[in-house]
Amino acid sequence: MIAAVFNLNHPANTVHWHFFVMSVSNVIVIVIMLIVFVLAILVPFPGHGRRERAK
Amino acid sequence: MSSTAKRSWTAAARERAVGALPPDKLLPDSQPAYMASWIYIFGVLSLVSLVVIIASGSILSLKGPGWWHFTGIGHFFNSIHMWSVELFFFFMVIHLWGKYWMAAWRGGRGRVWMTGAVAFVIAVPCALTGYVSQQNFDSQWISTQAKDAMNAAGIGSFFNLTNFGQMYSYHVFLLPLAVVAIAAAHILLVRKHGIVPPFRLADRTGAPGSHAEAPSSGVPGERSPAREPKPDLDPSDHAS
Repeated sequence: MIAAVFNLNHPANTVHWHFFVMSVSNVIVIVIMLIVFVLAILVPFPGHGRRERAK
Repeated sequence: MSSTAKRSWTAAARERAVGALPPDKLLPDSQPAYMASWIYIFGVLSLVSLVVIIASGSILSLKGPGWWHFTGIGHFFNSIHMWSVELFFFFMVIHLWGKYWMAAWRGGRGRVWMTGAVAFVIAVPCALTGYVSQQNFDSQWISTQAKDAMNAAGIGSFFNLTNFGQMYSYHVFLLPLAVVAIAAAHILLVRKHGIVPPFRLADRTGAPGSHAEAPSSGVPGERSPAREPKPDLDPSDHAS
Protein backbone atom coordinates (compact mmCIF):
# COMPACT_ATOMS: atom_id res chain seq x y z
CA MET A 1 0.00 0.00 0.00
CA ILE A 2 2.70 2.45 1.09
CA ALA A 3 4.92 1.38 -1.81
CA ALA A 4 2.26 2.71 -4.19
CA VAL A 5 3.12 6.27 -3.09
CA PHE A 6 6.47 5.93 -4.86
CA ASN A 7 6.85 4.05 -8.14
CA LEU A 8 9.91 1.82 -7.61
CA ASN A 9 9.52 -0.18 -10.85
CA HIS A 10 12.36 1.54 -12.66
CA PRO A 11 16.14 1.77 -12.39
CA ALA A 12 17.40 4.15 -9.69
CA ASN A 13 17.80 7.80 -10.70
CA THR A 14 21.37 9.06 -10.42
CA VAL A 15 23.06 12.42 -10.28
CA HIS A 16 25.95 12.37 -12.77
CA TRP A 17 28.22 15.42 -12.85
CA HIS A 18 31.73 14.91 -14.29
CA PHE A 19 33.34 12.22 -12.11
CA PHE A 20 30.59 12.48 -9.48
CA VAL A 21 27.96 9.72 -9.68
CA MET A 22 25.47 9.14 -6.87
CA SER A 23 21.88 7.97 -6.55
CA VAL A 24 19.31 10.72 -6.04
CA SER A 25 18.18 9.14 -2.77
CA ASN A 26 21.73 9.32 -1.35
CA VAL A 27 22.11 12.93 -2.50
CA ILE A 28 18.82 13.81 -0.76
CA VAL A 29 19.96 12.18 2.50
CA ILE A 30 23.31 14.03 2.42
CA VAL A 31 21.57 17.36 1.73
CA ILE A 32 19.19 16.74 4.66
CA MET A 33 22.17 15.93 6.89
CA LEU A 34 23.82 19.22 5.90
CA ILE A 35 20.59 21.13 6.61
CA VAL A 36 20.20 19.47 10.04
CA PHE A 37 23.86 20.19 10.82
CA VAL A 38 23.46 23.89 10.04
CA LEU A 39 20.17 24.10 11.96
CA ALA A 40 21.77 22.37 14.98
CA ILE A 41 24.36 25.15 15.10
CA LEU A 42 22.04 28.09 14.44
CA VAL A 43 18.77 27.20 16.21
CA PRO A 44 18.78 28.33 19.88
CA PHE A 45 18.63 25.54 22.43
CA PRO A 46 15.59 25.70 24.77
CA GLY A 47 16.47 27.37 28.05
CA HIS A 48 19.77 28.81 26.79
CA GLY A 49 18.39 32.36 26.84
CA ARG A 50 17.16 31.96 30.43
CA ARG A 51 20.63 30.79 31.50
CA GLU A 52 22.26 33.76 29.80
CA ARG A 53 19.88 36.25 31.48
CA ALA A 54 20.42 34.56 34.85
CA LYS A 55 24.17 35.32 34.73
CA MET B 1 42.03 -8.31 56.26
CA SER B 2 42.09 -4.94 54.58
CA SER B 3 45.76 -5.31 53.67
CA THR B 4 45.03 -8.73 52.14
CA ALA B 5 42.10 -7.29 50.20
CA LYS B 6 44.22 -4.44 48.85
CA ARG B 7 46.67 -6.91 47.37
CA SER B 8 43.96 -8.78 45.48
CA TRP B 9 43.38 -8.01 41.81
CA THR B 10 39.69 -7.25 42.43
CA ALA B 11 40.56 -4.52 44.92
CA ALA B 12 43.23 -3.12 42.61
CA ALA B 13 40.80 -3.12 39.66
CA ARG B 14 38.10 -1.45 41.77
CA GLU B 15 40.44 1.25 43.05
CA ARG B 16 41.74 1.91 39.56
CA ALA B 17 38.22 2.09 38.09
CA VAL B 18 36.89 4.37 40.82
CA GLY B 19 40.02 6.51 40.57
CA ALA B 20 39.60 6.97 36.83
CA LEU B 21 35.83 7.38 36.94
CA PRO B 22 34.46 8.39 40.34
CA PRO B 23 30.64 8.04 40.54
CA ASP B 24 29.95 11.78 40.25
CA LYS B 25 32.01 11.88 37.05
CA LEU B 26 30.50 8.68 35.63
CA LEU B 27 26.91 9.79 36.24
CA PRO B 28 26.93 13.59 36.56
CA ASP B 29 23.74 15.50 37.45
CA SER B 30 24.75 18.68 35.63
CA GLN B 31 26.50 19.59 32.40
CA PRO B 32 28.67 22.56 31.35
CA ALA B 33 26.79 25.66 30.16
CA TYR B 34 28.29 25.42 26.68
CA MET B 35 26.36 22.18 26.09
CA ALA B 36 23.17 24.23 25.66
CA SER B 37 23.33 23.70 21.88
CA TRP B 38 21.58 21.27 19.56
CA ILE B 39 24.92 20.15 18.11
CA TYR B 40 25.66 18.30 21.37
CA ILE B 41 22.65 15.97 21.14
CA PHE B 42 23.75 13.89 18.14
CA GLY B 43 26.05 11.65 20.17
CA VAL B 44 23.25 10.53 22.44
CA LEU B 45 20.88 10.23 19.47
CA SER B 46 23.39 7.84 17.89
CA LEU B 47 23.48 5.90 21.15
CA VAL B 48 19.67 5.67 21.32
CA SER B 49 19.59 4.45 17.72
CA LEU B 50 22.15 1.78 18.59
CA VAL B 51 19.96 0.58 21.48
CA VAL B 52 16.96 0.29 19.11
CA ILE B 53 19.14 -1.53 16.56
CA ILE B 54 20.31 -4.09 19.13
CA ALA B 55 16.80 -4.60 20.55
CA SER B 56 15.05 -5.00 17.17
CA GLY B 57 17.93 -7.12 15.80
CA SER B 58 17.70 -9.45 18.80
CA ILE B 59 14.01 -10.03 18.07
CA LEU B 60 14.71 -10.63 14.36
CA SER B 61 17.46 -13.16 15.16
CA LEU B 62 15.12 -15.03 17.51
CA LYS B 63 12.31 -15.27 14.96
CA GLY B 64 14.24 -15.89 11.71
CA PRO B 65 13.91 -14.99 8.00
CA GLY B 66 10.52 -16.68 7.51
CA TRP B 67 9.04 -14.41 10.19
CA TRP B 68 10.57 -11.14 8.99
CA HIS B 69 9.62 -11.83 5.34
CA PHE B 70 6.14 -13.34 5.57
CA THR B 71 4.35 -11.86 8.60
CA GLY B 72 3.05 -8.36 9.19
CA ILE B 73 4.71 -7.97 12.59
CA GLY B 74 7.92 -9.42 11.08
CA HIS B 75 7.84 -6.74 8.38
CA PHE B 76 7.32 -4.13 11.10
CA PHE B 77 10.36 -5.21 13.13
CA ASN B 78 12.41 -5.60 9.96
CA SER B 79 11.57 -1.98 9.12
CA ILE B 80 12.30 -0.80 12.67
CA HIS B 81 15.72 -2.46 12.41
CA MET B 82 16.50 -0.99 8.99
CA TRP B 83 15.34 2.56 9.76
CA SER B 84 17.14 2.63 13.12
CA VAL B 85 20.34 1.76 11.22
CA GLU B 86 19.64 4.61 8.77
CA LEU B 87 19.12 7.00 11.69
CA PHE B 88 22.23 5.64 13.47
CA PHE B 89 24.40 6.62 10.51
CA PHE B 90 22.50 9.88 9.97
CA PHE B 91 23.10 11.01 13.58
CA MET B 92 26.63 9.59 13.73
CA VAL B 93 27.73 11.50 10.62
CA ILE B 94 26.38 14.81 12.02
CA HIS B 95 28.04 13.98 15.37
CA LEU B 96 31.30 13.38 13.46
CA TRP B 97 31.00 16.67 11.56
CA GLY B 98 30.30 18.61 14.76
CA LYS B 99 33.20 17.05 16.65
CA TYR B 100 35.57 17.47 13.69
CA TRP B 101 34.88 21.19 13.37
CA MET B 102 35.27 21.74 17.12
CA ALA B 103 38.51 19.64 17.08
CA ALA B 104 37.23 17.23 19.70
CA TRP B 105 40.64 15.63 20.17
CA ARG B 106 41.82 18.72 22.11
CA GLY B 107 42.71 18.57 25.80
CA GLY B 108 44.02 15.01 25.89
CA ARG B 109 40.91 13.62 24.19
CA GLY B 110 42.77 11.75 21.45
CA ARG B 111 41.46 8.36 22.58
CA VAL B 112 37.89 9.73 22.67
CA TRP B 113 38.22 10.84 19.05
CA MET B 114 39.90 7.59 17.95
CA THR B 115 37.33 5.30 19.58
CA GLY B 116 34.54 7.29 17.92
CA ALA B 117 36.24 7.06 14.53
CA VAL B 118 36.85 3.31 14.95
CA ALA B 119 33.20 2.78 15.98
CA PHE B 120 32.13 4.47 12.74
CA VAL B 121 34.52 2.34 10.66
CA ILE B 122 33.34 -0.91 12.29
CA ALA B 123 29.68 0.08 11.92
CA VAL B 124 30.03 0.21 8.11
CA PRO B 125 30.74 -3.54 7.61
CA CYS B 126 28.21 -4.27 10.35
CA ALA B 127 25.53 -2.60 8.20
CA LEU B 128 26.84 -4.18 4.98
CA THR B 129 26.66 -7.70 6.41
CA GLY B 130 23.09 -6.89 7.47
CA TYR B 131 22.09 -5.86 3.96
CA VAL B 132 23.50 -9.14 2.55
CA SER B 133 21.76 -11.18 5.28
CA GLN B 134 18.23 -10.17 4.32
CA GLN B 135 17.63 -13.40 2.35
CA ASN B 136 15.95 -11.73 -0.63
CA PHE B 137 16.80 -10.51 -4.14
CA ASP B 138 18.11 -7.24 -2.70
CA SER B 139 20.70 -9.08 -0.60
CA GLN B 140 21.69 -11.23 -3.59
CA TRP B 141 22.26 -8.13 -5.70
CA ILE B 142 24.26 -6.35 -2.98
CA SER B 143 26.39 -9.41 -2.17
CA THR B 144 27.31 -10.13 -5.79
CA GLN B 145 28.21 -6.48 -6.32
CA ALA B 146 30.12 -6.13 -3.04
CA LYS B 147 32.12 -9.35 -3.51
CA ASP B 148 33.87 -7.69 -6.44
CA ALA B 149 34.97 -4.88 -4.12
CA MET B 150 36.29 -7.43 -1.62
CA ASN B 151 38.14 -9.32 -4.35
CA ALA B 152 39.58 -6.09 -5.73
CA ALA B 153 40.80 -5.23 -2.23
CA GLY B 154 42.45 -8.65 -1.93
CA ILE B 155 40.36 -9.84 1.03
CA GLY B 156 37.77 -11.85 -0.89
CA SER B 157 39.12 -15.15 0.43
CA PHE B 158 38.46 -14.02 4.00
CA PHE B 159 35.07 -12.32 3.50
CA ASN B 160 32.80 -14.16 1.09
CA LEU B 161 29.75 -11.94 0.79
CA THR B 162 27.77 -14.65 -1.00
CA ASN B 163 28.19 -16.96 2.03
CA PHE B 164 25.06 -16.29 4.09
CA GLY B 165 26.27 -18.25 7.12
CA GLN B 166 29.51 -16.32 7.36
CA MET B 167 27.87 -12.93 6.79
CA TYR B 168 25.07 -13.66 9.27
CA SER B 169 27.60 -14.65 11.96
CA TYR B 170 29.50 -11.43 11.38
CA HIS B 171 26.27 -9.43 11.44
CA VAL B 172 24.57 -10.84 14.54
CA PHE B 173 27.59 -11.52 16.74
CA LEU B 174 31.14 -10.47 15.88
CA LEU B 175 30.62 -6.97 14.47
CA PRO B 176 27.81 -5.89 16.87
CA LEU B 177 29.99 -7.04 19.76
CA ALA B 178 32.81 -4.88 18.42
CA VAL B 179 30.53 -1.86 17.85
CA VAL B 180 28.98 -2.08 21.34
CA ALA B 181 32.38 -2.60 23.00
CA ILE B 182 34.01 0.33 21.23
CA ALA B 183 30.93 2.55 21.80
CA ALA B 184 31.04 1.68 25.52
CA ALA B 185 34.74 2.56 25.64
CA HIS B 186 33.96 5.83 23.80
CA ILE B 187 31.27 6.80 26.32
CA LEU B 188 33.46 5.96 29.33
CA LEU B 189 36.29 8.04 27.85
CA VAL B 190 33.88 10.93 27.25
CA ARG B 191 32.84 10.75 30.91
CA LYS B 192 36.48 10.57 32.02
CA HIS B 193 37.70 13.54 29.97
CA GLY B 194 34.48 15.59 29.87
CA ILE B 195 32.66 16.98 26.83
CA VAL B 196 34.99 18.99 24.62
CA PRO B 197 34.34 22.74 24.97
CA PRO B 198 33.93 25.06 21.98
CA PHE B 199 36.88 27.14 20.82
CA ARG B 200 37.34 30.21 22.94
CA LEU B 201 36.19 33.39 21.24
CA ALA B 202 39.42 35.15 22.26
CA ASP B 203 41.45 32.58 20.31
CA ARG B 204 39.41 33.30 17.20
CA THR B 205 39.26 37.11 17.39
CA GLY B 206 42.35 37.96 19.42
CA ALA B 207 40.16 39.99 21.76
CA PRO B 208 41.50 39.88 25.33
CA GLY B 209 39.20 38.60 28.03
CA SER B 210 36.70 36.90 25.72
CA HIS B 211 37.22 33.61 27.45
CA ALA B 212 34.24 33.67 29.77
CA GLU B 213 31.92 31.60 27.61
CA ALA B 214 34.15 28.59 27.30
CA PRO B 215 35.76 26.69 30.12
CA SER B 216 38.94 25.01 29.03
CA SER B 217 38.65 21.52 30.36
CA GLY B 218 35.11 20.34 29.87
CA VAL B 219 34.84 19.52 33.57
CA PRO B 220 31.48 20.79 34.89
CA GLY B 221 31.81 24.02 36.84
CA GLU B 222 35.46 24.52 36.03
CA ARG B 223 36.54 27.83 34.50
CA SER B 224 39.76 28.54 32.67
CA PRO B 225 42.02 31.49 33.34
CA ALA B 226 42.10 34.32 30.79
CA ARG B 227 45.20 33.24 28.91
CA GLU B 228 47.12 30.02 29.19
CA PRO B 229 49.85 28.53 27.05
CA LYS B 230 47.58 25.54 26.30
CA PRO B 231 44.03 26.77 26.95
CA ASP B 232 42.37 23.51 25.89
CA LEU B 233 44.52 21.21 27.96
CA ASP B 234 42.95 19.66 31.02
CA PRO B 235 45.64 18.85 33.59
CA SER B 236 43.48 16.10 35.03
CA ASP B 237 43.58 14.28 31.69
CA HIS B 238 47.18 13.41 32.28
CA ALA B 239 46.88 12.36 35.88
CA SER B 240 46.68 8.65 35.11
